[in-house]
Amino acid sequence: MAKTILAVDDSASIRQMVSFTLKNAGYEVIEAVDGQDALDKANVHAVNLVLTDINMPRMDGLKLLELLRNLSHYKTIPILMLTTESGDEIKAKGRAAGATGWLVKPFDPKRLLEVIKKVIG
Amino acid sequence: MSEIIDEQVASNFYFDKNFNNQAVKLLPGEYYVTDKDILLVTVLGSCVSACLRDCYSGIGGMNHFMLPDGNGEAGNPLNASARYGSYAMEILINQLLKLGARRSNLEAKVFGGGNVLDGLTVANVGQRNAEFVLKYLQTEKIPIVAQDLIDIYPRKVYFFPKRNKVMVKKLRSQHNTTITQREKDYRQRLYKADTGGEIELFS
Repeated sequence: MAKTILAVDDSASIRQMVSFTLKNAGYEVIEAVDGQDALDKANVHAVNLVLTDINMPRMDGLKLLELLRNLSHYKTIPILMLTTESGDEIKAKGRAAGATGWLVKPFDPKRLLEVIKKVIG
Repeated sequence: MSEIIDEQVASNFYFDKNFNNQAVKLLPGEYYVTDKDILLVTVLGSCVSACLRDCYSGIGGMNHFMLPDGNGEAGNPLNASARYGSYAMEILINQLLKLGARRSNLEAKVFGGGNVLDGLTVANVGQRNAEFVLKYLQTEKIPIVAQDLIDIYPRKVYFFPKRNKVMVKKLRSQHNTTITQREKDYRQRLYKADTGGEIELFS
């Protein structure tokens, strides 16, 4: 059975590109437009991995990460941050909040898939 | 080893005597956002510039970029050009949001994409840049309220985000090759650069 990835980004262009990449590789994709939307969807879908942007309206990716890690069924699910942010400070915050990995945009489809494969197979 | 492409904050500040205003000049690959009454200035050849503004708060910003060569991937929605262009636009939008702009209030004025680079292997460089920025903004549902794109002349763009005013001057004669040389250098940097950002796994 295909694994399911929750892809979160407020940019429709990025969502399109990420979804295209993941679906072509055989993953099921659920898209969310911001942290709040992602949290709502994470509560009703079984998800194998969360791939989230950080800077988003309503709820940012770091808050989403924190709230997901507080949910018992998301304690061990891999959560990857895909963001334009590359500073050490924000990266350390993400790591402390339980991020599995950090990918800086622009993303390379091949390398994104390699990382995903590494964490969920 | 190739370097990572990174959009830079413009840092060339000056006082513009013609407009009696503080100003910042953007070079290719740079962006700038502000909530103050600052004039943003750039000169575009085949590059494009998006002037984005929160129509309620007046927080605004500008970028100046071009797409790297597609390397024959024109029909591929994941080509390096589209990914880099989306990244350049997202950097600008994110910085506006950090200053307090709201995504739903953003509107755009877009300029540039003149077919002014001669002697290059890829035809219609300017047109490709212009088409990208229009498509990107349409996908993101950011309304385009003004545009002056393509044609054959370089343009000088003056953007006053706080006053919601843009002035564009077409440069029908060039006294030197500075504009085209800067763009060629930028294009060369993009060509050599890695179009994927760094990756780190924590566990």
